[in-house]
Amino acid sequence: MTTPAPPAAPAETETPEPPHDPLRAALPHAAEVSIAADGIPTVRVPLERLLEAIERVRGELGHTRFVDLTAVDRLQREERFELVYLFYSLDQRTWLRLKTRTDAEAPSLTGSVPGANWYERELYDLFGIRFSGHPDLCRIMLPDDWRGHPLRRTEPLGSEPVDFTVTRGVYGTG
Amino acid sequence: MAQAELQTPSTSALTTDVEPPRELLTINMGPQHPSTHGVLRLELQLDGEVVVHCRPVIGYLHTGIEKTFEAKTYVQGVVLTDRMDYLNPLGNNLAYALAVEKLVACEIPERATVLRVLLAELTRIASHLMFIGSMALDLGASSPFLYCWREREKILDFFERISGVRMMTSFIRPGGLMRDVDAEALATIGHFVDAMPGYIDSYEELLTGNPIFKERTEGIGVLSADDALALGVSGPTLRAAGLNFDLRKTNPYCGYEAYDFAVPTGTVGDCFDRYLVRVAETRESVKICRQALDRMPGGSVRTTDRKVMPPPKEELAKSMEAVIHHFKLWTEGIRPPAGEAYVGVESPRGELGFYVVSDGSGRPIRVHERAPSFANLQALPKITEGGAVADVVACIATLDPIMGEVDR
Repeated sequence: MTTPAPPAAPAETETPEPPHDPLRAALPHAAEVSIAADGIPTVRVPLERLLEAIERVRGELGHTRFVDLTAVDRLQREERFELVYLFYSLDQRTWLRLKTRTDAEAPSLTGSVPGANWYERELYDLFGIRFSGHPDLCRIMLPDDWRGHPLRRTEPLGSEPVDFTVTRGVYGTG
Repeated sequence: MAQAELQTPSTSALTTDVEPPRELLTINMGPQHPSTHGVLRLELQLDGEVVVHCRPVIGYLHTGIEKTFEAKTYVQGVVLTDRMDYLNPLGNNLAYALAVEKLVACEIPERATVLRVLLAELTRIASHLMFIGSMALDLGASSPFLYCWREREKILDFFERISGVRMMTSFIRPGGLMRDVDAEALATIGHFVDAMPGYIDSYEELLTGNPIFKERTEGIGVLSADDALALGVSGPTLRAAGLNFDLRKTNPYCGYEAYDFAVPTGTVGDCFDRYLVRVAETRESVKICRQALDRMPGGSVRTTDRKVMPPPKEELAKSMEAVIHHFKLWTEGIRPPAGEAYVGVESPRGELGFYVVSDGSGRPIRVHERAPSFANLQALPKITEGGAVADVVACIATLDPIMGEVDR
């Protein structure tokens, strides 16, 4: 009895076609393209290419709806703040995350997305990131004379003095 | 009202015939104004009755919740989510739990998922009842508020019965639910769900055809779909502008694709449309609740992943492994692998998202809430400027902002 010959392994000869990646095609300057734990495609672009990348995300890639902007303070990195933009495509029904790194300043998105206004003010207030070109960059959550930016990881956790204890120093009467 | 009509002719004998230059009057509306739904301050510049400029000032309720998250374990963080949107506590629990579950990649039993849908929709009904009541109250009709409160009370009683707390339930947790819901409680809420359409009819009888109510809301505070999208507006406010966008349909979570419900949309995008959309949505939520109750499967409401949920009490006496899991969970908490997750759900106010970043330790390094009210409130200047100052109240009411999640 002859044993049937094992089927020829197809993977050896055919090199798999590199999957067409519309993300990489539209964003050639991307430093990093990945799929996060939540399944949302995540692209990191250099800061100087940010506005251009956002234009492409909202144009060619069709993710027109601005959803969210936030930051993560990665203290150990040289450019410590990671800006995280989130866009949504109403046609494809998918989110797209765009990231960039900065140490203090970033270009404002308010020119093309008015909805980013308060989000950038919030980051300015709580992280101390300045957005150049923002029409009204001032504190949004904290009092105007507040010192420091509480969401920075250098700020103490859980031991922020309450307003009453700092009143004397802050308002200059003491 | 046209600007010209509001100018008072200078008939006094003492005034000169030279018309003085019109001065803009700057007034503060809030932060304690009862119609600002919490502590919203508006800097209004008025030309007579007409709002020329409106600048919302927020932050009066800022308590640093996002910072506090960094000091808490993942399970402790649940109690903070209740306090963001305090009219949608279970919806916030749900969004946060889903985001953490994405990070740890754990499976949730079917019964927990169906109960989550039921609880989220009951919370939506309670939140919209609050909206209908408080909006009517803002516009001068005090009786709908009492009727809406009466029904909302039933829902809160149900929450109290199952979780022990009326508002800040923290009932939905990463890994499932705090505990199971007994059949008797489900039967009680079933009777309520069946009676609810009749109650909604009675609110509509009071408001929808009411000529005074219509006069205060029709054509007031119009927000087009394009403007709404540009300003980041979502939820009923966006749907009232005619755009059919509901995350329960477009990106279903918790098995929403298996439920039969419609997404009501408006046409004009004025205050009246925003009211109608929310009333219609309440009816759809009632339908979803009924379907969830009908299909309620049996079984556990907690994941079997012992790295996420502690083992049941009886196992502790028998299994050493269970004791270790229990000890590790209560000392270190859940330790998701390093990574990030964003989950967006449809809250009563729009796209509510939690963005959670883990570095592999027991505490998140960043939790950010994409609060729908925060984005929606940015549209307030757009819809109030050019209108009468009395209409500002209607505009705030129909944007339905919750300052707890605006300021966080």
